[in-house]
Amino acid sequence: MKLSNLLDKELHITEKKKIWFLIPAGVVVLAAIMMIIFTFTLGGPLNLGMDFAGGYTMKVQLGTKLTDSTKQDYKNMVTDIAEGLSNDQGEKYGIKLSGIQEQGSGDQASLYIKYKAVASEETMEDEINPALKQALQESIFKSIPTLTASGGTVTATYSAPLVEKIFETVEQSVRAHLPEGVSVSAVTLSEDKKTVTVQTSATELSAEQLDGLKSALSYSDSYSGLVSDGDIISATVSGELLTTAIAAIVLAIVLMLAYIAIRFELSSGLAAIVALFHDILIMFCFMAIFHVEINSTFIAALITILGYSINNTIIIFDRVRETVKTQTGKMLTGARIANQAVGDTLLRSFNTTLTTLITIGMVAIIGVPDIRIFALPIIAGLLAGTFSSIFIAPSIWALIRDRKRKPKDKVQTDKKAAVAE
Amino acid sequence: MKKKSAIVKLSILGGLLIIGIVLSFCSFNFGLTKYKSFANSIKLGLDLKGGVYAVYEAADTSASDFDSAMEGTKTRLQSLIVSKGYSEATVVREGSTRLRVEVPDVDNPSAIFQIIGKPAEVKFILDETKEVVMTGSQHVLKASAGYYEGAPVVELSLNSEGAKKFGDATSNNVGKTMSIVVEEEGEEPRTISQPTIEVAITNGRAIINGMADYDTAKNLADQIMSGTFDIPLSLKESATISATLGDRALLLGLIAGAVGLFLVMVFLCVFYRAFGGVASFCLLLYTVLMLFFLAVLPWVQLTLPGIAGIILSLGMAVDANIVITERIKYEYRNGKSIMASTHAGFKKATIAIIDSNVTTIIAAILLLIFGTGSIKGFALTLLIGIVLSLFTSLFVTRKVVKYVVTLNSTNPKLYNLKRGKAFENVRADETDAELQARLDAEAAAKRAEKEAKKKAKKAEGELNHETV
Repeated sequence: MKLSNLLDKELHITEKKKIWFLIPAGVVVLAAIMMIIFTFTLGGPLNLGMDFAGGYTMKVQLGTKLTDSTKQDYKNMVTDIAEGLSNDQGEKYGIKLSGIQEQGSGDQASLYIKYKAVASEETMEDEINPALKQALQESIFKSIPTLTASGGTVTATYSAPLVEKIFETVEQSVRAHLPEGVSVSAVTLSEDKKTVTVQTSATELSAEQLDGLKSALSYSDSYSGLVSDGDIISATVSGELLTTAIAAIVLAIVLMLAYIAIRFELSSGLAAIVALFHDILIMFCFMAIFHVEINSTFIAALITILGYSINNTIIIFDRVRETVKTQTGKMLTGARIANQAVGDTLLRSFNTTLTTLITIGMVAIIGVPDIRIFALPIIAGLLAGTFSSIFIAPSIWALIRDRKRKPKDKVQTDKKAAVAE
Repeated sequence: MKKKSAIVKLSILGGLLIIGIVLSFCSFNFGLTKYKSFANSIKLGLDLKGGVYAVYEAADTSASDFDSAMEGTKTRLQSLIVSKGYSEATVVREGSTRLRVEVPDVDNPSAIFQIIGKPAEVKFILDETKEVVMTGSQHVLKASAGYYEGAPVVELSLNSEGAKKFGDATSNNVGKTMSIVVEEEGEEPRTISQPTIEVAITNGRAIINGMADYDTAKNLADQIMSGTFDIPLSLKESATISATLGDRALLLGLIAGAVGLFLVMVFLCVFYRAFGGVASFCLLLYTVLMLFFLAVLPWVQLTLPGIAGIILSLGMAVDANIVITERIKYEYRNGKSIMASTHAGFKKATIAIIDSNVTTIIAAILLLIFGTGSIKGFALTLLIGIVLSLFTSLFVTRKVVKYVVTLNSTNPKLYNLKRGKAFENVRADETDAELQARLDAEAAAKRAEKEAKKKAKKAEGELNHETV
């Protein structure tokens, strides 16, 4: 069926208001159940991000090694190490980096990472943070040579010259970690101090044996960089900030209600505000049900929907206002006026939602992860806003209008309206 | 209106739009000066571009109530930084003894080096009794530099206890003098000024005059603010920092915006044909104007929530065009000619659009006044966006639709207009001759009225001339 065919039919929306009110109620119940489940399985009803919950930071000081061409590799490396970190039994800790930034320049250039606590404060500080620090220190600052083997002779080439002390360590390490059945006759350092030659007794070295030699030849260069201790960091969003934001929003809603009451009717204003609360509630439910991380950008998403939802509802109430003013409108029931207004603006509602979904959808598809997390609640709110402006706000307005009139009047006016048409 | 003049006007508008798009996105060398495109001149926030950070360490951790004192200091530091104009700055506690400050769009770390001046204590002392009425650390909420009677001063706003003490002291000692003494660490206390109390000051505001210049006043204000910190701080490190969202966030965001806008325009053109074309034209114009204002307004700093504000206002600009076009379609369905439908459509849609935008403007203004940090940024871009959206949809769309309809007012398919069942046989320009005649007559009447006025004025002028 084509959408435009709907235009010639009368919609029966307000009559089914029980269904429309039950749908969001169902979503709220589902969210409540999920929140209870998450409290026991994941440790909290909502997935609060670092902005609200705080977390830990660590600084990986790379100095001059951090350049435009290497920074992406280092960022990937650090992310992989942190997110793949596991305990002795091989179980992952489940760390997720919520930020990785470059800071400082020259010798001080470093990567600054932020992550949320994944266990109790005690475990974080005694076990996980030291483990992460060690893992980063070992893998990031390891100097790994490239090996070439011909027969039993292995040549290891390093990117930087080896000082005497490190060469001694490397030699000891090679002699200590020899593959079984192989002995070493000589370990020598070349003139430019960049190549180490290891002569072994074997005639041919297997790939496995070479790997063993490679790790023995690698050394940890603690002078090339430093990982700082994991530090606890407080939430960016303080209680005070949240209170002022909420106060501003409440004041905005009150003034919007006043404006709508003056330009339309008080009942339109009340219906619009109910729709608004519905949208905000559904957004919270969305975040709860899918356990999406809540950060300070969620506040901006909420306010975005606040503006959008009111806009949607007013376009429909504009039609209602127009019909109420006419002669026939004065005799019609609220339910009929609301149905007609919704029908007249249905295409507009669909098209506006669709075009806004296209823009925000592109942001969700193309953007970086943080922006995606920001776009998701907006999409949820957008759909909730369209639903409430079509189904909930007009139904409530009609409910208030028809309740004000006596039932006897209603029958008469309906008949009169039918005659007038 | 003649078709020729409509074509000329449309071409002029089209040309202007193309110039606007070029200025928005292309930077080039113009003679010796380098022109920077609007898109490149927009100031970006910490999340998109990075900035500088500083870590301050508590100099004294022995306070008995260290934890809450540190929280208080964090709040004070935040308000000090905001008062310096870095409203998007964030302050968080790092470890238990350090505060980390991140300030966007500054690339010189030493600029925030100076945020915390050397702490100073200010005391107001009654000269007669040598009684200390109030001190900066206990009674001052905020110190800032300003002008009073043309001279630079430090303005202090006092807490309730300070306001009461200051009020009592000034009302009991009118006619006497009061010394304002500043004590800096490791230096002799110096008396800055010794004004005579002329009236009782009970409004919780005090000023320190006798400043050499504005910078001196500013320095002292910063020092007093630092003196109000519960815990003295010392700078541990400060350096540049990259964007919190990563380098690619902005580029990907721009691509997403461009692709989204393009798809919306395609949708509008397919669904509303010529009207969709007009709407697309206006959306492009809106985009150019938006970029222009984001670039030239000094207090705009674009952050992720700011981008949300732009998306919302873009959505509302599209919506305004859809509301207008749907209204025109509705009028046409119910029997009006194309020309009459556009007139009626605009007239009726305008009210709906203004009402729906005013509510959002109310919300944006309140958030701008009461919001903090990123919420302010969101509200500002939203506000700019809505005003531009109102301008383009109600003013530009209206004109362009008028020109386009002048070129063709007989073919409903061009505009994807359909008649309702009751009006299937009514021609697309049924009543146009009549309507045009009425409009022409109105325009002619207006012109005649103007001319008559002009003549009357001229006659009056001549009359005056003669009498002189």
